[in-house]
Amino acid sequence: MIILSYLAVGAVSLALILLSKSHRTMNAFSILHTLSFLAIGLYALLTTVVPTFEAGSEYFYVDHLSIYEVLIAALLFFLASVYANGYVESLMQAHELHRSNLKIFYMASSLLLTTVTLAFLSDNLALFWIFAELTTVFSAALVAILSAKENIDAAFKYIFIASGAMLFSFIGLIFLYTLSGEVLGSGTLNWTVLTANATLLSPKMLAASFVFLFIGFAAKSGIFPFHTWLPDAHSKAPSAVSAILSGVLLNVGMYGILRMYAIVRQTQAEHLVSQFLMGFGLLTVAVAVLNMLLQRNLKMLIAFSSMEHMGIILLGIGVGTPLALFWTLFYVLAHSLTKASLFFSAGILHRQYESNLIQDMRDVLSLQPVAGWGFIIGSFAIIGMPPFPIFSAKLFILLEAFGFSKSLVFAVLLLLVIASAAFARFLIEAFSRSSKDTGTGELETPLLPYRVRKGMKFPILFIIFMILALGVFFPESLENLLNEIVYELGYL
Amino acid sequence: MIFSFLTDPAFLEDIVRILFVFVLITAAFILSTRNIASLLTVYTVQSLLLVLIAVSLYLIEGSQTLLAIAALTLVSKVLLIPIFINLIGEKIKISRDLKFNYMEPTASLVVSIALILLAYVFLSGFFNEVVLGKLFFIGAVIGLSLTLMGMLVIFSRRKMITKVIGYLTMENGVLLFGIFVADLPFIIEILIVIDLMILVLLTTILAIGLDSTREQYHQRLHTLKIWSGRED
Repeated sequence: MIILSYLAVGAVSLALILLSKSHRTMNAFSILHTLSFLAIGLYALLTTVVPTFEAGSEYFYVDHLSIYEVLIAALLFFLASVYANGYVESLMQAHELHRSNLKIFYMASSLLLTTVTLAFLSDNLALFWIFAELTTVFSAALVAILSAKENIDAAFKYIFIASGAMLFSFIGLIFLYTLSGEVLGSGTLNWTVLTANATLLSPKMLAASFVFLFIGFAAKSGIFPFHTWLPDAHSKAPSAVSAILSGVLLNVGMYGILRMYAIVRQTQAEHLVSQFLMGFGLLTVAVAVLNMLLQRNLKMLIAFSSMEHMGIILLGIGVGTPLALFWTLFYVLAHSLTKASLFFSAGILHRQYESNLIQDMRDVLSLQPVAGWGFIIGSFAIIGMPPFPIFSAKLFILLEAFGFSKSLVFAVLLLLVIASAAFARFLIEAFSRSSKDTGTGELETPLLPYRVRKGMKFPILFIIFMILALGVFFPESLENLLNEIVYELGYL
Repeated sequence: MIFSFLTDPAFLEDIVRILFVFVLITAAFILSTRNIASLLTVYTVQSLLLVLIAVSLYLIEGSQTLLAIAALTLVSKVLLIPIFINLIGEKIKISRDLKFNYMEPTASLVVSIALILLAYVFLSGFFNEVVLGKLFFIGAVIGLSLTLMGMLVIFSRRKMITKVIGYLTMENGVLLFGIFVADLPFIIEILIVIDLMILVLLTTILAIGLDSTREQYHQRLHTLKIWSGRED
């Protein structure tokens, strides 16, 4: 029933957006779409007995992990569509977004939400693969929506790297299918069957198929060395889209890696794959952080920070203990929310200065107090200062990683210090500059404050409130949910 | 029976081996050809070769899925996709993709030889566990090599249309690998083709903007009407 209601709501919303004439109605339907997805997810969580198969077949499967990811996705889409109302109007006023592309924008984001949801609910890995591919296509359309050369370039890079890498994932799936056919008689790609019979599979072949699958999923999550599309796409896309790219789409790849790891960790290949994941996690953090340090472009900084956090999540998956998984899952939620608030703030700042570059920003706090403070608080949260939730998540992941390798933890800590320095440097340089003391003597035209449209501040304030609440108070229901996931993935 | 040779497995296996060679030749052409129209023709021929391979395998094995795959490939990759790209190509009015990134064709060809060897060494490391017939093993190697060569095309060519053909070549490689290593459920093959069509649709429409100049781009988008979603 869950999957059918998702499909029905998705189809109806798409049709309504297609039929609506004004921006206001399109936006309203898009908000309605996200709210219904949230409602279905909550309903499923509270009333339905999960895990359960869906739609009368084994192709779809609902467990706590998939509902958790779906809820995060729907929440972020909700915030983004509330934000989009004013933001997209501003883009059109500035002639950056062509009015005739408006409908494409809302249709692509509606399709994106539906496909992301279906991807999370797929039990069959090939089905997951196809939905993940479709998310690339629709999100690339959203990156290209501004129809500027840079955007289309970024979209192309995104499509070719992510989809090309996903083809290697498919080779991994073929491996896996053959492998399961050897043991079970007839081949299968259903995750539930594979997990149940994981111990029978040959560890060597399983590790090989994991590596192939990893290539595609890692490319979708911006893991080094497949990350090159990420900074371009995330920084060139409209900010409402960037928030979704960072907060939702990166999770799709991580979700795939986590599901695969849950199969592999039951076999002898576990140790090897763990080290493999931790190695790539560390490299990703290192490359991201070094790119952040001297970054002069605000959205690039945030984009590389997403990459850094994906590295830490990968590390958390690689550590592989139940506690590490628990905090990695919490990390996903904390990162998605915090990153969205940063992109929303950056979107307002970009409207104000019509630039993302550090040298164009001045008088930030007097011109845009909400976005300015939103960015400051968001930066504190994203670098993992207490009392924000990323702090506890990072702390416990690193504590668990300590059992594996001390030098790894020290290296990560050092890199995290550099990441903090990157944010601090950017904040100090951009936010302390005032138009009065530029000192060059040339006449500066005083900037008029950009009038922030209705609905653009709400998501920022909402997220800041939420991460503060999550940081100081860990709700029991969330704890139970995460424990259920850890249990269902076979960690306990 | 005049067609009795069609039931002789040894003969068919030889045919498949010859087709493998042709597939590799088409891949080499895609790496080096500068004329976009002939690139597209080579891709069409390559897809047709895959259809023939699938049909020959059907005659050897008798699995219905192979015949269905052959039909699906014929419709989607030999007919629909080339026709669509050809349409777009006429709109952009570029006929040649002259520039190469990183590598000139000769270097790419040398690298592809290395990639084929790599695919062979890698797969022979694994498939001594899973029992594959000799023909099937070679099929897997050719499939993986074709995928890697397609990737090389994406890296080394400049124009977006050529990169799209590189991606399509990669996908052909995966299809070939799939045919020889596992018989996946047909529904998955259909979904992949749908995914491929959407991807080709989006990338080629976007390519209009990049491969031609920017002013023309807006005009062309409006004449296409795929983006605006309005009737006017």
